[in-house]
Amino acid sequence: MKNLCLLTFLFCASFSIQAQQLNVGIRLQKTQQMYWENGISAQYSFANFKPDRLFVGFDFVTSRLGTAMNSNALKQDSYIFSGSWYFFKNKPYHLIGRLNTGYLNTDLEYDIFDELPSSSFLLAPELGFNYTPEKLPIALNLGLGYYLNMQDENKTPGTFQPLHYHLTLYYKLFNQEK
Amino acid sequence: MKAILKTVSICLSILLIVACNATPDITDEMLDGDVIFDPSLYSPEDYLVSAKYPAPTQEDLEKHVLIAAHGYSASTFEWDELMEWSADSSYRISSVLLDGHGRTYEDFRASKWEDWRAAIIREFELLEDLGYTKISLVGSSTSGALLVELMQSGYFNSHIKPKNIFLVDPIVAPTSKLQSVADLIGPMLVYLEVDQTAEEDKYWYHFRPHETISELNEVIQKVRKGLEKGITVPGGTYVKSFHSKGDPTASTTSTVLIYKGLEHTDGSKIDVQLMNSDIHVFTRLNLRPSISPLELSNQLDAFTQMAKRLN
Repeated sequence: MKNLCLLTFLFCASFSIQAQQLNVGIRLQKTQQMYWENGISAQYSFANFKPDRLFVGFDFVTSRLGTAMNSNALKQDSYIFSGSWYFFKNKPYHLIGRLNTGYLNTDLEYDIFDELPSSSFLLAPELGFNYTPEKLPIALNLGLGYYLNMQDENKTPGTFQPLHYHLTLYYKLFNQEK
Repeated sequence: MKAILKTVSICLSILLIVACNATPDITDEMLDGDVIFDPSLYSPEDYLVSAKYPAPTQEDLEKHVLIAAHGYSASTFEWDELMEWSADSSYRISSVLLDGHGRTYEDFRASKWEDWRAAIIREFELLEDLGYTKISLVGSSTSGALLVELMQSGYFNSHIKPKNIFLVDPIVAPTSKLQSVADLIGPMLVYLEVDQTAEEDKYWYHFRPHETISELNEVIQKVRKGLEKGITVPGGTYVKSFHSKGDPTASTTSTVLIYKGLEHTDGSKIDVQLMNSDIHVFTRLNLRPSISPLELSNQLDAFTQMAKRLN
């Protein structure tokens, strides 16, 4: 977890120089009929290419910070890279179209289950809504995504289910004035 | 934008109206209709020990009884092979028909998961009242979840403890990714039509109402949450879960979750066996398009293991 935070920090820092906007925050995610998986989120837009319209991002969500905390739920981690397009330029609110891709890994814990599927490639289109108060350095992001079937269904863990929704609260770490 | 939203809302309304009026094309050759019913409804004494021996002798009462319960949308057919295989055994089998099943489509549509469970409880209590003390249970697929739910609810705290509980391809997490969104899209689909043979149509519902899929989701979600908190097996009860590695219906993760969440009173884990199989409810081979020696061997293995604990 520490390594992941350090990586995220370096990831953000390396881009802050050329970013129009850099947001970091916490993400609360629920999968329909399955777990709460919470974690961190970062996204930025380039200063010289579609600033404040095109965002690229990285999210890490895990059931360790959700349903699996102090329970027998399976511990599963998702690493998600995304590209987002913000509609409605120069408004405090935006509709968002996003495409997520990444990797999910589930810890089945016991050797007897070594042969069972425990991971999945992720690809999910997502619709979202963003609200950015004009005088506050924060942004509120809501999203509804659906993981597409990329493998045989019985080759992925049963705790991996398609429909998920999230609430992400960003802090604007860097926002270059135009 | 307003025009787009208006068009989308009109299309959705039309889809909803059309879908809500949809009725399945049920024929007399299907279990869904009002001609074919599960045979246990006509002759319960051929399926239930409580019906066959309503006044058991002491010798009868000393026998071990296994209550076998089938899965969602299935019928007593699912355990016929175990009954035939066990014909000359010292134990007896009660093959229960879950309430709401084996009857008409409308009966199935109106049933709740608690109704499904009621048939298991009814036979268990009838046997208990008759004086049987050696009772075991086996549940396939959804009945696997129902048996875990019985343990979760503390039902056995006020009843005799089962000697054994066997789970065959129990479902706590579905393999099909669409099942988890059935509650949302179900009202638009109304029912799910299953691609199965005409012969299978006599033993499994061809049309599965969305209400029953929601019921299935409700019970597996309840069980999963119970397992997350931890469920204790009744004292003295042996539990084993058998699961096909390539189960196309009940994800193998179900057995992982059961293994993690079920514990004996001394903190030990239940037994688990993963089968080299790609079929759901590997113990039922009748009406499969083809049967490999491995599948026969899997079935025999499970039957033999259960029988050893019933003698």
